[in-house]
Amino acid sequence: MISFYALYVTKSKLIFAIIQKNLIDIRDMEKITYEEQTKITRVIIKAAVLMMEYGAESILIEQTAQRLGRALGVSSVEISLIPSAIVLTTLVNNQSVTTTRRSHHKPINMSIVYDVQKMVIDSENKKYDSNLVLQTLKEIKPNYYNRWLVVFMVGLACASFAYLQKADWAAFGITFLAASIAMFVRQELAKKKFVLIITFGITAFVATMIASISQIEGVSSTPNIALASSVLLLVPGFPFVNSFLDALKGYLSMGWGRWLHAMLLTFATSIGIILAVTLIKYQG
Amino acid sequence: MMDLLFTILLDALFAGVASIGFAMVFNVPKNALIYCAIGGALAYTFRTIFLNFGITIEISTFFASTLIGIIALYWSRKYLTPRPIYSVASIIPMVPGTYAFTAVISLINMNTYGVTPELIVQFVENALKAGSILGAISFGLALPSLYFIRYNRPII
Repeated sequence: MISFYALYVTKSKLIFAIIQKNLIDIRDMEKITYEEQTKITRVIIKAAVLMMEYGAESILIEQTAQRLGRALGVSSVEISLIPSAIVLTTLVNNQSVTTTRRSHHKPINMSIVYDVQKMVIDSENKKYDSNLVLQTLKEIKPNYYNRWLVVFMVGLACASFAYLQKADWAAFGITFLAASIAMFVRQELAKKKFVLIITFGITAFVATMIASISQIEGVSSTPNIALASSVLLLVPGFPFVNSFLDALKGYLSMGWGRWLHAMLLTFATSIGIILAVTLIKYQG
Repeated sequence: MMDLLFTILLDALFAGVASIGFAMVFNVPKNALIYCAIGGALAYTFRTIFLNFGITIEISTFFASTLIGIIALYWSRKYLTPRPIYSVASIIPMVPGTYAFTAVISLINMNTYGVTPELIVQFVENALKAGSILGAISFGLALPSLYFIRYNRPII
């Protein structure tokens, strides 16, 4: 009889403890007021827009937003992506906040994507609150390399590509010169914040004009490789690969949008090349 | 034999340099640069090996980029970094730049000097090669991550 009673007491204590724990959970959830939830939503969409503008793939954007939401204490985050905007909803006990942000195409910058990703993992482990996350997001600076180092390395990269296509050493040197100057032009245009299509067209024009030195008689035996390699710094590798990754993982509209973006950049490059080649032929 | 090995090593070195240059254009974090270089060198070497077995260039590119996709997946889980940082820079040495350029040039020639059967053949051959190699690269990169993706599980 006593043992029965003891069992009953422990059991009821256990049930009481469970109820109490749930109550605390519910009280914790209720602490999030509408204003706080709005603030959390704005922080999450800021992170998502940063990732989208600087070229992260869609599944990464969605999972990052959901993980950040869970770390900040909302029960679920739903996100809808189209190529030019993000719509995001957060849910906490029967209360939802929805917000929309426009996203613009910017030059790809992987270090920003990496920093946002790192911040989200940190906020999961160290229990950041929304103010601290906003502070961290504001402090993210792109990791720019020294611009002359980039000019030199891109020249060398395009020249290496010419070497891999079995160019001779004259073509190697001309490719290096053309690609370096083209990269310098591209940086100058990027500094003035032109649309990417204009930047790509002008850069391709300059690169082809300089690389056509190799077409003069007796300079190089492989002039076409020099011409082809010097515009290689304009390959839209990230938009193309991202478009395939998105489409294969179920984000079809994002896949189309990014594919079209990549195609437009390729067209801009081709137009630059065509203009330069026509001009050279006209001059003889 | 030694000669072939030396050529492969030299090619791998140049492929690594090409990858570093493109990684810098995309502004990858500093600690990932060396992995981009290793990836580029590995990708080009894999493709050369497959080509030496007598496999066509499209299929060799596909195998090489699949292998790079697997390696990039391993690195991204180890260092908690988005996967395209490694994979996109690594496949740059395999981009069919010369084929695409020759196709564009043959289009220009057709427009200026009139259409001839030789120019059409040149255009179709080069455009097909460029397109199929590009498709091989993108599908090869995407396949490994598709295998490892499960519903409701983070990819990093």
